[in-house]
Amino acid sequence: MKIRVQSFARFREIFGSEQIMEMEEGATLAALLLEIGAGSPAARSALFDEDGILRKYIILMRNKKRVNREEIAAIILNDGDEIALYPPVAGG
Amino acid sequence: MVVTVTQEDFDINRLIEERKASDMGAFVSFIGIVRDDGIERMELEAHQEVAVEELEVIRDEAFAKFPIKSVDIIHRIGDLRIGDNIVLILVGAGHRREAFEGCEYIIERLKERVPIWKKEYTPDGERWVHGEHH
Repeated sequence: MKIRVQSFARFREIFGSEQIMEMEEGATLAALLLEIGAGSPAARSALFDEDGILRKYIILMRNKKRVNREEIAAIILNDGDEIALYPPVAGG
Repeated sequence: MVVTVTQEDFDINRLIEERKASDMGAFVSFIGIVRDDGIERMELEAHQEVAVEELEVIRDEAFAKFPIKSVDIIHRIGDLRIGDNIVLILVGAGHRREAFEGCEYIIERLKERVPIWKKEYTPDGERWVHGEHH
């Protein structure tokens, strides 16, 4: 299945503004993030700390709704899902 | 009333004139502008669709919390120079107290959760502005 991943600001410079990830049926959001992180050392370091924990400041959106980071391992993705990766926001 | 994320600048005087109504005794505005922190310019980017939705939610929260009568939120994106307007929040109400409170509520929530980012360009290079909430 195909998952569309959009990245913004600093993450856009690392991951590109949009990538289509091919994932197996039943893949979780956590698995998708690991796959994105596997793209390069910079990608891995942007998403995960030294212990492999998703960095606290990252905001995840699934189909334009904010995702609770505690739930990423439980969220089963669907074909066509849109995931957005935000660094901390800085508007105003 | 307007809630928008746009490249266009705004005219606050015109907006106030458009919003005035006989039951309003107070307008409070917040205007954010580009400050010279040793920068040459800044670029703002947004996840446009989500940013507008989030601003609409914040506006609705402000209406629910305070007895205010009008809210306009205009946030600019794109390439901005020192002194340029970044954001306008204009709140109209019967009295000053709720206008101040509503305006402050909106700008504080905006800074916490609306997906907008700033990149500053200095003579030494470029840097992403760190958000206040992380």
